[in-house]
Amino acid sequence: MTTRLDPTVAMHLSDAAVSVELETPEMTLNIGPQHPSTHGVLRLVAKVDGERVDSVEPVIGYMHRGYEKLAEVRTYAQITALINRIDWVSGFCNEVPFVIAVERLMGIEAPERAQYIRLILAEMTRISSHLLFMSSYPLELGAPTPLMYALREREHVMDLIEGVTGGRFHPNFNRVGGVKPAAGGGSSTKKVVQDLPSGFFDGTRRAMDRVDLVCDELDTLVTGNELFRARTVGVGIIPPDKALAYGVSGPNLRASGVGFDLRKHEHILPYDDIEFEIPVGRNGDCFDRFVVRLQEIRQATRIVRQAVDRIPAGPLQAKVPRILKVPQGQCYVRAENPKGEMGYFVVSEGGRIPYRVKIRSASFSNLSILPWILAGQLIPDLVAIMGSLDFVLGDVDR
Amino acid sequence: MTDSPSDRPEAADGGTARETAPDAGSANASAAAEIAGRVAEQVGATSWSADYDTAKVYVDRDRWVEAVAAARDGGLPFFSWLSAIDWSRQVEVGESVAAPDDLEERYEVMCRLSSVTDASAVHLVTSLPKDDPTIATLVPTFGGAEWHEREAAEMFGITFEGHPHLVKLYLPDAFEGNPLRKSFALLAREVKPWPGTVDVEGMPGATGPSTENVEAAAMEGGEE
Repeated sequence: MTTRLDPTVAMHLSDAAVSVELETPEMTLNIGPQHPSTHGVLRLVAKVDGERVDSVEPVIGYMHRGYEKLAEVRTYAQITALINRIDWVSGFCNEVPFVIAVERLMGIEAPERAQYIRLILAEMTRISSHLLFMSSYPLELGAPTPLMYALREREHVMDLIEGVTGGRFHPNFNRVGGVKPAAGGGSSTKKVVQDLPSGFFDGTRRAMDRVDLVCDELDTLVTGNELFRARTVGVGIIPPDKALAYGVSGPNLRASGVGFDLRKHEHILPYDDIEFEIPVGRNGDCFDRFVVRLQEIRQATRIVRQAVDRIPAGPLQAKVPRILKVPQGQCYVRAENPKGEMGYFVVSEGGRIPYRVKIRSASFSNLSILPWILAGQLIPDLVAIMGSLDFVLGDVDR
Repeated sequence: MTDSPSDRPEAADGGTARETAPDAGSANASAAAEIAGRVAEQVGATSWSADYDTAKVYVDRDRWVEAVAAARDGGLPFFSWLSAIDWSRQVEVGESVAAPDDLEERYEVMCRLSSVTDASAVHLVTSLPKDDPTIATLVPTFGGAEWHEREAAEMFGITFEGHPHLVKLYLPDAFEGNPLRKSFALLAREVKPWPGTVDVEGMPGATGPSTENVEAAAMEGGEE
């Protein structure tokens, strides 16, 4: 007596056999530290099962320069040069909260013109940082064209920053009590001092117009692109409660639907005089993180235009002793950097050097959510998700 | 905590250190005091301070996790950072600081939480004795504490009990010592004590050439 299997059952059985044979063993995949998608030297040790990522352990520290220790053996003026290098694509923004923390400890307030210059340059730095993201992120997803458009306009903004500060990436332009006067500009406490290069305001307005145009171009090139949407919509969703628990801040937090922007709450720069909106995302996916940054560029050009129209005349620096001795005290000042909350907790025990400086950098916390968000994702999405977080390894490792 | 204006001689020579703007934002200062008082009540802490617009609430080590969770549920859901300070004042590098009479060698662990609807934020602070730097982990309360605690552990030698993966974060596995402890000497400063002395000390008295003049002289010399 022969038993014949029902044909459909036989088919299922053969399927089962095949799937048993193809069951993939767990494999450890090492990505980095030298990998183009890691924006520097980040290493990921991923446990993968076929195309699926089971768990990821980021290995950081390749860029660790020990700034918190180095700050303990430097004067306050020397630290400004040091902290430029934390997030090297937004060097100017790194300086602002630190000098303001020292100013608060010393009871100094920078003159209004200096505050406006800080605001204008901080927003220009935001534009430049976000335009770098606009160029690198589509590139990582296989679209090289937006890079050309975004970097072309970024260069105009960088030229303006360089014209004022003398540095493209590391301005070292803030001083405790104000900003540095232009070279040969004379005493910084005079009523009127040569500070901004001639033609700066016109050049700024022209550059802002061009940045707005490139935003429209990027909108049509990238956000409307079918392939880009397929790679980013619904990928790498960060729910708001996870974002808060991991300290994810900046555009990444706002993409998750939390409309929190320190520019509206911390009154360290004269943002109160200026009208602007906070772009907020809805789903917290890679696409929202891209769109929020694109909208932030548009808001930043709006802020810069208003600030250029309103900037008052006056001195660049408050009266500050030639040797900075900071009285005993502890002060934390945070600012909305392009990447998120950047803060300095300055502890002074009196004297010329701080007792301790805790540097809170945005990318460190933004990256710490990586093991949670990458678990269960596909390998091709790994690059899409990492790129959408927009981190800089110098800002992670300090 | 108040700063003593008497030991600031530079205020006499033209500098107006504290008097010009006694408080840049007295509204901010009172806001910081308000939030510190409110959080202290929520977490059952006895003392708080709000100097320099920085609200700090001091809690006991035994109630650390409980206090942080209470503050989180009380309207501060954003985990900003966690770190520590070494208050041993055994300064091996840089400039020595005056040790007060009531010197107590200890570590201070602090965690900053903030709101995402307004500007309120607070530092929760607790003290660890020098000989027993251990504290319960915050990882179950805030997932983001994992990396911050690993950093504090390697930099200060603090043990976070219950941490799921307390290994080195930045430093190589074989690294010995805890770099942010005050007793950890910075090798570069051992070799060359204080390279900033020349330009920092030389300027105001004009006894020696200032750095600007040195540079100018060097440039002139080069042209000849």
